[in-house]
Amino acid sequence: MPTVTVNGTPVTFGENEKLNCVQAAQRAGMEIPHYCWHPELSVVASCRMCLVEVGDVKPDGSVAMQPKLFPGCQTPVKDGMVVVSNSPKVETAQKATLEYLLLNHPLDCPVCDQAGECGLQDYSYEYGRGYSRLDEPKNLKPDKDYIGEQITLFTDRCIMCTRCVRFTREFSGTGELQVINRGSKEEIDIFPGEPCDNKLSGNVVDLCPVGALCSKDFLYQQRVWWLKGKDSACAGCSNNCSIRIDQNNDTVYRVVPRPNPRLQAGGHFMCDDGRFGWKYVHSENRLTQPSGPGGVTDWTAVLTGVRETLVKGAAESPKRVAAIISPWATVEEAYLLCSYLKGLSPDIRIGLGPVRVVGEDDTYPKDPAGRPVEPVRFTIRAEKCPNRRGVEAVLQHFQGTILQGSQLVKAAGAGELDVVYVLGGDPELGYSDDDVAALSRVKTLIVEDLLASPLTRAATYVLAGGSWAEKDGTIVNHQGLAQAIRRAIRGPGDARQDGRILSELAQRRGLYHATTVRQELAGVVPALAALIVGDLGDEGIDLTGPAAPVATLQTAGSSN
Amino acid sequence: MTLNDWIILLLAMAIPMHVILGACAYLILLERKLSAWMQDRVGPNRAGPMGLLQPLADGIKFILKEEMMPGHINKFLYVLAPGITCFTALFAFAVVPYGPTSSEPGVFPFIIAPNVDLGLLFLFAVGSLNVYGIILGGWASNNKYSALGALRASAQVVSYEIPLGMSVLGVILLAGSMNIETIMNQQIEHGFMGWNIWYQPLAALLFFTAAMAESNRLPFDLAECEQELVGGFHTEYSSMKFAMFALGEYVHITTLGFVLSCLYFGGWHFPWIATAESAYPGAWAVKVLVLLTKVFAVLVLIQLLRWTIPRFRFDQLMGLAWKVMIPLATVNVLMVMCFKQFGWDPMWMLPGSLAIFICAGVVGVQSARSGRSLAAAA
Amino acid sequence: MAVAAQDVIWAEPPKIGFWESTYLPAILTGLGITTKHVINYKPVTLQYPEVEPDLPVHYKGIHRLNRDEKERVKCVACMMCATACPADCITIVAAAAPKDDPLWVDRDKYPASFEIDELKCIYCGMCEEACPCDAIELTHIYDVTGTTRSEMIYDKEKLLAVYDETKNHPKDPPRTHRGALSGTSEFSTLPPLGPATPVLNDDRSAKAPTPGVIRPTH
Repeated sequence: MPTVTVNGTPVTFGENEKLNCVQAAQRAGMEIPHYCWHPELSVVASCRMCLVEVGDVKPDGSVAMQPKLFPGCQTPVKDGMVVVSNSPKVETAQKATLEYLLLNHPLDCPVCDQAGECGLQDYSYEYGRGYSRLDEPKNLKPDKDYIGEQITLFTDRCIMCTRCVRFTREFSGTGELQVINRGSKEEIDIFPGEPCDNKLSGNVVDLCPVGALCSKDFLYQQRVWWLKGKDSACAGCSNNCSIRIDQNNDTVYRVVPRPNPRLQAGGHFMCDDGRFGWKYVHSENRLTQPSGPGGVTDWTAVLTGVRETLVKGAAESPKRVAAIISPWATVEEAYLLCSYLKGLSPDIRIGLGPVRVVGEDDTYPKDPAGRPVEPVRFTIRAEKCPNRRGVEAVLQHFQGTILQGSQLVKAAGAGELDVVYVLGGDPELGYSDDDVAALSRVKTLIVEDLLASPLTRAATYVLAGGSWAEKDGTIVNHQGLAQAIRRAIRGPGDARQDGRILSELAQRRGLYHATTVRQELAGVVPALAALIVGDLGDEGIDLTGPAAPVATLQTAGSSN
Repeated sequence: MTLNDWIILLLAMAIPMHVILGACAYLILLERKLSAWMQDRVGPNRAGPMGLLQPLADGIKFILKEEMMPGHINKFLYVLAPGITCFTALFAFAVVPYGPTSSEPGVFPFIIAPNVDLGLLFLFAVGSLNVYGIILGGWASNNKYSALGALRASAQVVSYEIPLGMSVLGVILLAGSMNIETIMNQQIEHGFMGWNIWYQPLAALLFFTAAMAESNRLPFDLAECEQELVGGFHTEYSSMKFAMFALGEYVHITTLGFVLSCLYFGGWHFPWIATAESAYPGAWAVKVLVLLTKVFAVLVLIQLLRWTIPRFRFDQLMGLAWKVMIPLATVNVLMVMCFKQFGWDPMWMLPGSLAIFICAGVVGVQSARSGRSLAAAA
Repeated sequence: MAVAAQDVIWAEPPKIGFWESTYLPAILTGLGITTKHVINYKPVTLQYPEVEPDLPVHYKGIHRLNRDEKERVKCVACMMCATACPADCITIVAAAAPKDDPLWVDRDKYPASFEIDELKCIYCGMCEEACPCDAIELTHIYDVTGTTRSEMIYDKEKLLAVYDETKNHPKDPPRTHRGALSGTSEFSTLPPLGPATPVLNDDRSAKAPTPGVIRPTH
């Protein structure tokens, strides 16, 4: 195995692996500071922060170091190489580089949103000199809030790493951002009248190592050190990008992608639909309490009523009882409802709710005219639901076939059903007015959903469920990757996470605990047997692969 | 009984009751002032000249204050508790003489219930019922701190009841009576040197200490120890009910002050100005004043002690009662019994008491040393 | 964790003599001390409403929000004070400064609302220490009252009013920049000092004192 020595620590890498010095150091658990390098972008070596000493071991065992410093990101490692990032020479270079990068930086950390997660702050503390020798006035550059609908640019904070420019050129392909002028007058800008409004534009905010590019949505909302992050997965489409939900006091403030090598583009990026599409979580329209006939708003009473209705219906005529599970439900919820209803009577029919498909899969990069370009690096799925595969797997097991919810809606319209349980979760209803009219013909309509809608108004029992940010569970994406979503906030008012509602409806013992249910269902549903590990880890578990989880890989390039 | 007798009886009851209640209010003011002075503070000085109307202001405030009653309590017992405390404290005063007593009809008796042969027994019986109010209050508050305070109070009272009774036993044996008037009059007949303090100094010390513990005064107020129990048994009490607890405590110590003066310090007797022979006009007033002065001195001493000795730890409190005071009181009673049985001259009781005290000190030193050697061996 | 035998130090209780074991002399001595105080007491009490206390300059009373040289609120809504506050009594809602207004053109962020719950506050002064732009300061005013709780929540206008009221008071000069008003970040007026962090001997910059940096102590 080829071996490279980083600061005295030997690091081995694969024969065909291409690593640069930064990645080799990361593999050894060391950090070589860098701004412009990003694992998913091309290498420009413009920030000079990653300067290292490089040398070779000679056949006689002596080490010959190169006299000058090399940028670590641009220097591929080879067998027998020696990389030193902590020598006085390198440290002096780091100090000088940082001082230079900070020459025109306004040092307005108090008003900067990046403060607290800022590359300049972190590296200045770790590698910086701590003071500046600049005696002249700083360059002042105008702020550019016209850069994009979702992004704004504080030009004076920029260190010209050009990550954002490379992203729009290489990844999204739209190429809106560019560097104008040269030398000390260099600035990031757009072509006049052509703002950066592509569906991946939010990623440049994450890419920016300093506070130059900021999200207008998050601007001045919170200081980042107040945010408490919870690792989860985006529910916006069937990609299920790994994300971190940043919340404070039960309010979600932002959602950021989380690197996951099992996802496209290493999980470094996510689309703006997902990044800004979670606002329904705090919608005025959220159901905040359950309700039942006679104005009952007490969970115990409502759940008792629902249970009695279902038990009575199953005992009298199970063929006239049905349930529709939305693909927004987690695997656990689908399992809890299926096992409960099938336990009441195997004749109860359970269907898959409406799978919302919007347009076609949107692929990136595109050319400036908006045409897709091969090879595809990022796809925004047309299927706008997170867990169709997971719910289908559960339904397949319990029923043998996957019954479409539309058939049950038709049956309800034909008067063939008495009790229908609709498990929702989709922020957009997914049922047409005709469907609602059909469903409202049944004697008892039980709706468990997020938002008030014509369907909840037609329902006999309404159960106020939890949004994706409020529940624990598992979702399975289009490629069969099962990821855990985690409860980041509490729901509004008396709303509860669906797993708890169903668990209490089924009168299971103890509190709802997603891991326990997950392990239980892994033993029952063969297609989901790989979930038996319980803890799905940061990267999730591939259901199409071997059942045992792959050992966690070192995430290359965790920097954003 | 004639109408005159009825009037005298009513007066004999009404005067002390009212004087005591008023005096207690001012004793509280005195205590606050004394505490302030001891701590180099000014003390209450806003209500009236030199703060003299402070008790009035306190009273008005207590009555007008919002009555907090927790929602989780046994209401009947909760309200009953301060009543019991106050009632028993005042009731015990019935057998306590507050001047030159007399049981002749038509003469002001200076005692509410004259000639009760079981006077001391009655006093201790009713006085120790006082703790019943504390226990009820602590328990009915449904508060753990209150309950702990009440438990401490009960344990404390049970322990100190014994040395209290035993220390008085010597005096009872000497006088051959449990009637407080008889005990007092016997001292007065023998003049200054007839005061029981000359025969029973150790018993007087024990009685004084036990009485302070009985009435939950510092350093023995573990039932309301703020650092550990918030307010102890009265944590949940406010306004007048809280005031009644405080009042009960003050009446209790006032009563014990009277008893201490009457049993050991010759009651209203003082050489030359108030003796059995003094019959000058207004002599009764002087006698009352002498007694009140003695009581006042006792109360001031108690208040000074409050800021002199820090609060005991509970094991120290129990140790003091069971390991020191009860043995000492027992030995003291034994000594008196020996003197009575063998007809020895009572003047030897003073050195006898001192000898017992010194022996106790020596035993204390020895036991401390042996305890240390035991610890070293371990 | 078990304690090793050699780590145990046996403490000897002090030796008790005869008089100590009888309690009485100690009690009498104590009584003497308390009585001495009763007879000869020297109170230091101030008769407050009639006599006002002479507060030290560093007294920490209610807060004020300073104004900058353009009479705007000096605070930039960085929320360091709210972060530092141990009582969690500061609530700031930040907003982008109105860029169209020429008065605000040089500012990015400002507090749209700034509230301090003076009842929650423990007057520790951490906010003043945390403030990077010397915008929040504690004044000498201590006698504030209110009839409702909401009245004691000081908003931005009230805090600025406190500044207007106290800025000329001898006890409350703006504490930084020698009492002079200044911008939010002004380093050039500081005296020349050496660098804050240890530097290499061959670092030329360390030999040339520049404004605003602190010279090492060796």
